[in-house]
Amino acid sequence: MKKPEPEKFGAHSRRTFLKSLGTVAATAATAQVESVAAELEQANAEKVIGPNAVPVTLKVNGKFLKLMLEPRVTLLDALRNYSSLTGAKEGCDRASCGACTVMLDDLPIYSCQKLAIEAQGHEITTIEGLAQNGKLTNVQQAFVDKDALMCGYCTPGFVMSVTALLKKNPSPTTDDVKHACAGNLCRCGTQPRILEAALAAAGVAVNRTTKTEVIDYA
Amino acid sequence: MKAFQYATALTTDSARELVADNGMYIAGGNDLLGLLKDYLVTDPKILVNIKSLPGMSQIEPGDKMWTIGALVTVADLEHDAGIAKVFPGIHDAAMEIASQQIRNVATVGGNLAQHSRCWYFRHRDIQCLKKGGDMCYAREGENRYHCLFTGNTCISPVVSSLGTTFAALDATAIVLRDGKEKRMNMAEVYHLAWENPLAHNSLRPGDMIVRVEIPTARSRSVYMQVSDKHTFDWALVSCAAAAEVTDGMLSQPRVALGSISPVPHQVEAANNFLDGKSLDDATVSAAADMILKDAKPLEHNAYKAPMAHALICRTLLQLKGNA
Amino acid sequence: MPSWPTNPKYISGDTRRIDGPEKVSGRARYSSDIQADGWLYGMILRSKWPAAQITSINLEPALKIPGIKAAITVQDGERMVRFYGEELAAVAGTTKQACLDALLAIEVVAKPSPLFVVNETEGKAPDAPKVWENASNVDASSPREQGNVDTAFGECAAVIEGFYTTPVQLHNPMETHGSTASWTDNGLTSWASTQGISSVRDGLAGALKLDHSQVRDITEYMGGGFGSKFGPGVHGVLAARLSQAAKAPVRLMLTRFDEALAVGNRPSSFQKIKLGALADGTLHAFEFDNYGTAGIGAGAATGGGGSGVVLPAPYIYKAPNTRVTQASVAINAGPACAFRAPSHPPASFGMESAMDDLAAKLGMDPLELRLKNDSNEVRQREYKLGAERFGWAAKYKKPGSSPGIVKTGVGCAGAAWGAGGPSRRTQGEAQINPDGSIEFRLGVQDLGTGTRTVIAVVAAEMLGLKPDQITVKVGDTNYPPGPGSGGSTTCASISPTVYDICTKALDQLQTQSGITDARGDNWFAACKKLGVSPLVVNGNWIEGLSTKPAYGVQFAEVDVDTETGLVTVKKVVAVHDCGLIVDKLTTESQINGGVIMGLGYALYEERVMDDLSGVVLNPNFETYKLSGIADVPDIDVILVNMPERGVIGIGEPATVPTAAALGNAVANAIGVRVGSLPITPAKVLAALGKVPPVEKT
Repeated sequence: MKKPEPEKFGAHSRRTFLKSLGTVAATAATAQVESVAAELEQANAEKVIGPNAVPVTLKVNGKFLKLMLEPRVTLLDALRNYSSLTGAKEGCDRASCGACTVMLDDLPIYSCQKLAIEAQGHEITTIEGLAQNGKLTNVQQAFVDKDALMCGYCTPGFVMSVTALLKKNPSPTTDDVKHACAGNLCRCGTQPRILEAALAAAGVAVNRTTKTEVIDYA
Repeated sequence: MKAFQYATALTTDSARELVADNGMYIAGGNDLLGLLKDYLVTDPKILVNIKSLPGMSQIEPGDKMWTIGALVTVADLEHDAGIAKVFPGIHDAAMEIASQQIRNVATVGGNLAQHSRCWYFRHRDIQCLKKGGDMCYAREGENRYHCLFTGNTCISPVVSSLGTTFAALDATAIVLRDGKEKRMNMAEVYHLAWENPLAHNSLRPGDMIVRVEIPTARSRSVYMQVSDKHTFDWALVSCAAAAEVTDGMLSQPRVALGSISPVPHQVEAANNFLDGKSLDDATVSAAADMILKDAKPLEHNAYKAPMAHALICRTLLQLKGNA
Repeated sequence: MPSWPTNPKYISGDTRRIDGPEKVSGRARYSSDIQADGWLYGMILRSKWPAAQITSINLEPALKIPGIKAAITVQDGERMVRFYGEELAAVAGTTKQACLDALLAIEVVAKPSPLFVVNETEGKAPDAPKVWENASNVDASSPREQGNVDTAFGECAAVIEGFYTTPVQLHNPMETHGSTASWTDNGLTSWASTQGISSVRDGLAGALKLDHSQVRDITEYMGGGFGSKFGPGVHGVLAARLSQAAKAPVRLMLTRFDEALAVGNRPSSFQKIKLGALADGTLHAFEFDNYGTAGIGAGAATGGGGSGVVLPAPYIYKAPNTRVTQASVAINAGPACAFRAPSHPPASFGMESAMDDLAAKLGMDPLELRLKNDSNEVRQREYKLGAERFGWAAKYKKPGSSPGIVKTGVGCAGAAWGAGGPSRRTQGEAQINPDGSIEFRLGVQDLGTGTRTVIAVVAAEMLGLKPDQITVKVGDTNYPPGPGSGGSTTCASISPTVYDICTKALDQLQTQSGITDARGDNWFAACKKLGVSPLVVNGNWIEGLSTKPAYGVQFAEVDVDTETGLVTVKKVVAVHDCGLIVDKLTTESQINGGVIMGLGYALYEERVMDDLSGVVLNPNFETYKLSGIADVPDIDVILVNMPERGVIGIGEPATVPTAAALGNAVANAIGVRVGSLPITPAKVLAALGKVPPVEKT
């Protein structure tokens, strides 16, 4: 849920703000100083930035990335091309394939259709931020165990979508998984096993969608 | 995308001021960024972030009317228990919109205001009529996704599922225009698209949808769509219906079709016909006939007529079973 | 004579993909992830005209854009473009944004021509605009005749005539085409998204006039190819040239938009089939007339017919009297290239649809008609296995007899693929260290097919170790050469090679260590005896451990909503053989993948072009529709293990019969044929007679 708070580009406290005005503040009539300060604070928060590069701070996987980015740079572009976090992939750059899925706070979003400057002030989680100390999460391990991946290019996106689902709904149904993963595409055809892996990771009894029988010919 | 400036507005006045005559508002950004990436609109000098505007992010229940802020996300709508109970049609529509990744950022206002999805309009190297070019390529071209009804030579249909559902619920959008609030029902929100090929809706530059008010008069509502795929696919045709149903009889019924006209398609005569009637196969079929009466199929979209007919019947009949 | 172990421990079992952890954690670096020191972003400018003469390209304004370090044209001087999206120029810069601005700044002076055609049916008309100057758009192969088809039809108890069409299909791998190229005085290194590292190396060397030894390709991970990623492509050469001009590595990846235009596709088909049988169902007469387009790669100018325009007909069936005529038609569109089982899915769709239509006319169960006419032993067995698992006998009902608004139907189809014709020139090496660690190095690539895992499984089997004790390195032209991954040949190429390396390794190890059997429990002791020198063993492909072809049959069940036209696939049973199954887990995934790709071909995918402007209308995932997770049914896989045939391949046969089986299931459900792929709700409604005719104004 969005909070109606002003976004703070380099937040100032009122005191530091007034201090920065120097003599101007000193000469402002005391009766009006609060409304002037408020107005100026608002103007500061409503500052027009760009089009050239501006400082952007992104909190990714718990760490701060301090970058210089034009306003038109997307979060995906920032991750892949201005940092070494290439886990989120570019499949379409048009919010239609899910390879770029990351979590903004708890919500999976397409990072290709989010401006990097608008991702500030949020907790961004990418695929690289899931495994702790090199230990794969339940979801990641389930993907490996069920062979829910082939070329792997769509995999980070699917893992993020499934991870986000299980965080919100620890006991999903098959339909829940399909609903959560509707925005992720795969060309290699791993969908049946992604479904299996998601349900297995949730500890939900798996109704195997692929059954294999091996018949010896001879 | 071309370069742009960026600012966050804290009041609607400063938003209007910042956007001036060469800027655009950015809320969820899904449609806008897509338009900018393919150079489909006049490049805005500045994007004005309106996500911090106060008083636009709430779903407010009410006895006679609910108010949905324009910044409420589609995901919020999808997950709101109250909406699911009081306006099941809105819930149905919301959950089918795009994918969860999009729903998490897409706003109600943005869904209503989104631009045409016509593949000629969306093509960076086609200067179609809607972009100020000489002709509508779809008319004699690939028009399988286009309008059965049209008021002007652009045949690109409205695709907003929420717009279609709000139309059935007789909702009103409140639009801020140069500091003053203007009330528009859904027909008015899209009316200009019917008249003017350059228009996607009736909003003027600088206009901002601030909220939608929905009367609770119709306790039953349903939304359905048919697409080529089962999920994450634009509707070929969609249908929303809303009414009060007592002992299987309709009162105040409204049926709207999406994806077949530049405006959510409603036929008053059909709504009037349904009023007071029982929901049965013959009645709904007759209503569907009335709704589709003046359809003018193009070379590749005639299938939308029988598809719409089926959808209308199903949507109406489901009103019966809506608790 | 070499032979595979009879009671294998790992072979034919379930071994998890050894690169799984790298992929699920985001550690795997694909070609589009490479961040070489000082790398630049590269981008291509493409023609917005389907046919034009380019008189000049002015790069100066682009070079002035801050951040741009190089700008080049594809070709100097005047030139023709023949399809929308053809490459014109390229830029390299410090950011994506600089490149985007640079592309907009380039000034192209062109004389667009109104003479172009993007519709193959129009393209084959004698007065159609010519795609290539002074060459017909049509290249017809000489008719093939056998027996006397005209009289034979008169002898048939039942004859059907059908028109079956398949669209141009786009590969659309999740990772687009492209590469990072670094061209320095020491040579050219490319990290290409490719399914043929050697093809990239050789192609770059040739195009840039370098010695092979000066060019290297490294492809550790790549995001899918399906036949479209052989050779460097125009984009690969541009990346290298940009790198040279900018004196920095350049990463040039195509956009999704580009993928629909210029990197290949599956040709379309327009098949007129007349098929007749005797009263007992024996096929007696077959007449086939087909045309399709391979874009500018078809027609007389390019010797036509490449990449699967010409179809095998009557596919897997035989008739004593046949006439087959085919033609490829050039249009102003991107050239076709190999796409997973070139020519087979469309051939299967046409022929198997005709078979079902004929069965309906004969009043015969279509499975029976197949068993009657398909003499192939393997498929006969597979049909019976599949029919039992699927429940064909109980599920099959006469066409259109399913009650209700949502009608259920079933269908089946068979496949054949010359898979596993291995590459006899495959080589590899293994380095065995005194501490017992072992690393295999093969110049092949893993597209997600499980190549690495196959190597580990075979090695583990032969050496008595566990697969996770085997380190596998692939994807570098510095390694001993292997085949490109195409034709479903990789597994059959590398498995015998690894076998050979292991045999030689054990031999040498045993000799050096004095231990008679160095496998398993003795391995570490034997290795320790190497002292300080690792052992490096070379091996190559050997006879006797692999063969071809592979077969396969699939059964499908669908629901068709006869009021909305929506098709929902309920179930697919896929019965496949690939000789000796090396890794069951990854083999199943290949089959799932083939079925799902076939499902997309059947119901959702087609490249749409606009006749008036000549552009591709759906160069994105929004309107070029891929099967989503909710579209995919339960898929049951029956694997027929045939160890005595050695290792074969599976990637392609798995996608051949799916669309045919689905098309047949739809026809069975609604009692009328939708002969055109993709089978959209619009087409279903039309076939059911529900769509009113449109008055042309």
